[in-house]
Amino acid sequence: MGRTSFLGEFEELILTMVLILEDNAYGNTIVKAIKDHQNREINLSSVHITLYRLEEKGFLTSHMAGATNMRGGRKKRYFQITNTGKALLQEMKEARMNLWKLTPLLKFSS
Amino acid sequence: MNKPGPPKALVRFVKWYSRSALQESILGDLEEMYYEDIDIYGVKKARRRFTWNVIRFLRPGIIRKVEGNQQLNHYGMVKQHFKSTFRIIAKEKLYSLINILGLTAGFSIALLTLSYVYFELNYEHYNPKSDRIARITIDYLDGGTLIDQDCESYHLLGPMMEEQFPEVEESVRAYGMNAAVVRVKKRNYSAERIYAVDQGFLDVFNYPLINGNTATALSNPMEVVLTRSAAMKYFGSIDVVGETLWVSTTRADMKIVGVCEDSPADTHLKFDMLYAYDLMKETLAKRESPWNSNDTYTYLLLKQPDQFAQFEQSVARLSNKLTEEKKIVNERVISQPIRDIHLYSHKSFEAEANGDATTVFFLLGVAILVIIIAIVNYINLATAKSLDRAKEVGIRKVVGSSRGQIKLRFFIESFTINLISGLLAIGIVVLVLPQFKLLAGLPENFLLLDNPLFWMLFLALVLLSSVLGGVFPAYTIASFQPVAVLKGKFISSSKGIWLRKSLVVFQFAIATFLLIQTFTSIRQLDYMQSKDLGLTTDQVLVVRAPATWKEMQNFRPFYDQLLNKPAFTSVALSNSIPGLPTSLMGSTTGINLVESDERHNYNFFTYFFDEHFIPTMNIEVVAGENFREGKQEDAVIVNEECLRLWGIADPQEAIGQKITFGDNAQIVGVIKNFHQTGVKSNHLPMVFRHAHNWGVYFSIRMNQGDYKNQVQEIETLYETHFDSPFKYFFLDEKFDAHYRSDQQFQAVFGTLSLFALIITCLGIFGLASFTVAKRQKEIGIRKVLGASVIQVITLLTKEFTSLIVIATLLSMPITYWVVQNWLEGYAYHIDLQLMLFAIPALIVILIAVVTILSRTFQITKTNPAHVLRNE
Repeated sequence: MGRTSFLGEFEELILTMVLILEDNAYGNTIVKAIKDHQNREINLSSVHITLYRLEEKGFLTSHMAGATNMRGGRKKRYFQITNTGKALLQEMKEARMNLWKLTPLLKFSS
Repeated sequence: MNKPGPPKALVRFVKWYSRSALQESILGDLEEMYYEDIDIYGVKKARRRFTWNVIRFLRPGIIRKVEGNQQLNHYGMVKQHFKSTFRIIAKEKLYSLINILGLTAGFSIALLTLSYVYFELNYEHYNPKSDRIARITIDYLDGGTLIDQDCESYHLLGPMMEEQFPEVEESVRAYGMNAAVVRVKKRNYSAERIYAVDQGFLDVFNYPLINGNTATALSNPMEVVLTRSAAMKYFGSIDVVGETLWVSTTRADMKIVGVCEDSPADTHLKFDMLYAYDLMKETLAKRESPWNSNDTYTYLLLKQPDQFAQFEQSVARLSNKLTEEKKIVNERVISQPIRDIHLYSHKSFEAEANGDATTVFFLLGVAILVIIIAIVNYINLATAKSLDRAKEVGIRKVVGSSRGQIKLRFFIESFTINLISGLLAIGIVVLVLPQFKLLAGLPENFLLLDNPLFWMLFLALVLLSSVLGGVFPAYTIASFQPVAVLKGKFISSSKGIWLRKSLVVFQFAIATFLLIQTFTSIRQLDYMQSKDLGLTTDQVLVVRAPATWKEMQNFRPFYDQLLNKPAFTSVALSNSIPGLPTSLMGSTTGINLVESDERHNYNFFTYFFDEHFIPTMNIEVVAGENFREGKQEDAVIVNEECLRLWGIADPQEAIGQKITFGDNAQIVGVIKNFHQTGVKSNHLPMVFRHAHNWGVYFSIRMNQGDYKNQVQEIETLYETHFDSPFKYFFLDEKFDAHYRSDQQFQAVFGTLSLFALIITCLGIFGLASFTVAKRQKEIGIRKVLGASVIQVITLLTKEFTSLIVIATLLSMPITYWVVQNWLEGYAYHIDLQLMLFAIPALIVILIAVVTILSRTFQITKTNPAHVLRNE
C-alpha cells in the first residue's frame, strides 16, 4: 500500500463511522451507529480508545462542544475525519476492490 | 429529568484514574449512555451497565500517568527552574561560592554536633527495658541539709523493694569488685571492670549470652560470665563455655558459664567480667549489720514505664520507715531513672565519670546558632542580589509567570544550593569523622552514616534551611512590579536594607559571644591546669601493687632494690592515689571529735598510705608529723578541710585529738588540702590511716631522665618479684584526665566558634562585594571630584564597621550572663575581667574590618574613566 500506517478492522470501522456521522461523531453516537448498521454491541471504552489512537495517528481531529443536561453539563468530544484519514479509507477501499477483482469468483462472473 | 444520577463514587473514581484531558468527554458519554439505558433497561440495569463501562475504561491510554499529567506544565517549568538555577550559580560564581561554603560549613558542624548530642542523649537506649529501670541511691544528710549523694546503696534494699512494692518486677544488684588478675594457661591478665551481679542482671540489662544459657548462668558462686572481648583476650576464642580460669579475687579456678556481647559505649555500667552475686554472700554475712555499708549498685525493673512517680513515693515511704526503725541514720533513700544517670547524675562512686547535660545542651545551642548564621548569610546575599534579579523576575512576569511560579523558582534555587552544600557537608563529615570522634570523646565504633536518623536529620536540615533561606527572597522578589522594574525605575526597598543590617548585627553578636566563651574556657582550663594542686604530680609513676598477699611478701626486697637505683628517690604505698575517682576511696559518714559535743554527719573520704607517701607526693604537713615507720593502728592524719568542718581554727589544736573513727583514732598530723579529684571540685574532707607494708599502688618518684628506660627498669624489677601483670600510669596524666572533658568541650566549642566566625566573615565579605559593585559609579564620581583613597575607603567601611561595633556591644550583656553562669559550674574559677571581653570583641571587629577592606580597597584602585564611560 505504500503507507507506513495500517488500520485494523476495528479502526477502519470507527474511522468509517466518523465519516458517516459527519458533524455528529462522538463516543455514544458511534456506538449506536455501529449497533444500528452492523448489529454489533461495542463497548464505549473501546470506541474511545480507538478514537484517541486514530487522532494520534492524524486521521481524526477533535473539538469539545455541545454540552447537554443529559451529560451532566459536560461537553462532547466531536471527531472529524482529516484529509489523510479520508485518503487512507479511500486507499484501503481501492486496495480491497483490486483484491476482489483478482478472486476467481469475480473473474468467472465477469 | 427525575431520574437518579449515576453513582457518584464511580464518577469520582473515573475522575481519579483518567487523564484530565479525556475526562470530560468520557464522563459525558458515560452519563449520556446511562440516562438512555435507564429508558431502555430501567435504573437497576443501567447502573450495572454504567459500572461495567467504568471498569472497561480502566485501560492504558485512559489511565493517567503516575506522576500526574495535571502538572504537566509545572513539571516542565520546574525543570526550567533548575536549569536557570544552575545558570545563576555559574554566572554569580563568587556569591554562589560564598553561599555554598557557608552552608557547607554550617551543615557539617550541625550534623557532627547533632550526632554527638544524639549519642549523649541516648544513653541506655540500647536496652529496650531501660525506660523502666530505676537506680536506688543514698543521700547523706546533716539535719535537713544535703551533704553528699552516694549512688551505691545497701544490699538489702533491692530484694526488700522487690518484695514490698507492687510496681517492681525485679531487682538486680551489681557489686563493683576490685580489679583482679586472671590466669589462663599460666599467663596473667588484668581484668578491670568486674561486677558481682544478681542472676537477673543479664536479662534486665539486655545481655543475652552468645554462648551459654542465660537462664541458668551465674546461679552458682563460682561461675563467671565474660564479654566477647575479654574471652578473646584470655582465650582467643568466644567458644569458652565450660572452661575455667583462675582469678585473684577468689584465688581459685572459676567456671565460665557464658559469653555476652561487650557493653555498648552508651551505658554507664560497663564491664569485662561478671561474677555471681552469691560470691559475696560470705563477705556480707560477716558484717555486723547489713545497714553498715552501702556499697552496691541497685537497679529496679518496674512493671510499667509510667510508674516512676509511684515508685518514687514507695521509696520515700520505705526510707522514712527505715529511719524510724533506726536502720539508717541521717540518710535518705531516693531513686533515679537509669536514662538520667549519664547526663544528670554526679554522685559519689559513679561507675564511670558521667557526661554533663549543660555541656550537651550548650553545644546543641551553639550548633543551632552556627546553622542560623549560615542561613542568615544566604538570606542576606539573596536579598542583596534581589536588585539584579528584579529584571529576570520582571521579564518572567511579563511573559506570564504567576507569583507562585516565581516563588517556586526562588525556593528551587534555595533548595538546589542547600542540597549541593548538604552533599558537600556529608563528604566533609565523612572526612573529619575520625578526628571528631577523638575530639568529642565518642567511641571508636560510633556509627553515623549507617544510622537512618542521621539521614532524616540531614534531610530535615536541608529542607528547613531551603525554606528559611528561600522564603524571604521569594516573597519580596515575587512582589516586584514588572513595569517599574523594566522601566529601570526600580529602587531596592529600605525594608530590605534594614533587614540585612539587623541580620548582620545578629550574626556578629553571635560570633562575638562564641569567641568570648571560647577565650574564657581556654583561660579557665589554663587556670585549672596551672593551679597548685597541693602536691607535685610530675615525675611520679604509679604502679599497681600485686594482687595477692603472697606476692606482697616480696615487697621489701623489691623496695630495697628499687631505691638502690639512682633513678628513683622514693617509693610509697597506698590504697588510693590522688587523681583517681572518689569511688576508689573509702568513705565514712559522721566522723566527729570525741571531745566535742557537736555532732555532724558529713561524709569523710578515707584511704591508707605509708610514711613515704607525704614526701613522695610533696604534700605539706601543716601541723604535727607524718606517720612513723612501723605499725601504727591508731594514728590518723587529716587534712585542713576536716578541721574546717570540725571548727578548729588552729591546726596545732587538732594534734592529739581523738576522733570517732575506728576504736581509738588519734590525730597525729594535719596536712594541707590537696586536690584529690582535680581542680573542678571542692576539697574533700579526708582522713588517712597508716598502710604498713601493703597497698594497692606503689607511687615511685623518679629523677629527671629518660623515663622510658626508667619504666623499663621498674618493669624488669617488678616482674622478677611479682607474678601479677605490670600496670602503671603517670600521676600527672591521671590528673590531666580530669580535664579531658573540659579539653574536649573547649576543643569542640572552639571549633564551632571558629566556623561561626568564618561563616559570618564570608557573609560580610559577600555583602561588602555587593555594596562595592553597586556603588562603583558613585565612587567614580567622587574620585573625579577629588575624593582621596582614604576618604573612599572610610566611606565604604564605615557603614559595616558601625554595624559590627553595635553587634559586639549588644552581645555583651547576654554573653556576660552566660559566661558567668558557666564559670559558676567550677569550684575554682577565674574572675571575669574586662580583657576577656575586650580582646575577643576587638578580634572580631578587626577580622571583619580586614574582610571589608579587602573588598573596598580594590575599588579605589579602579580608574573612574572605566566606570563612568557609559554615562
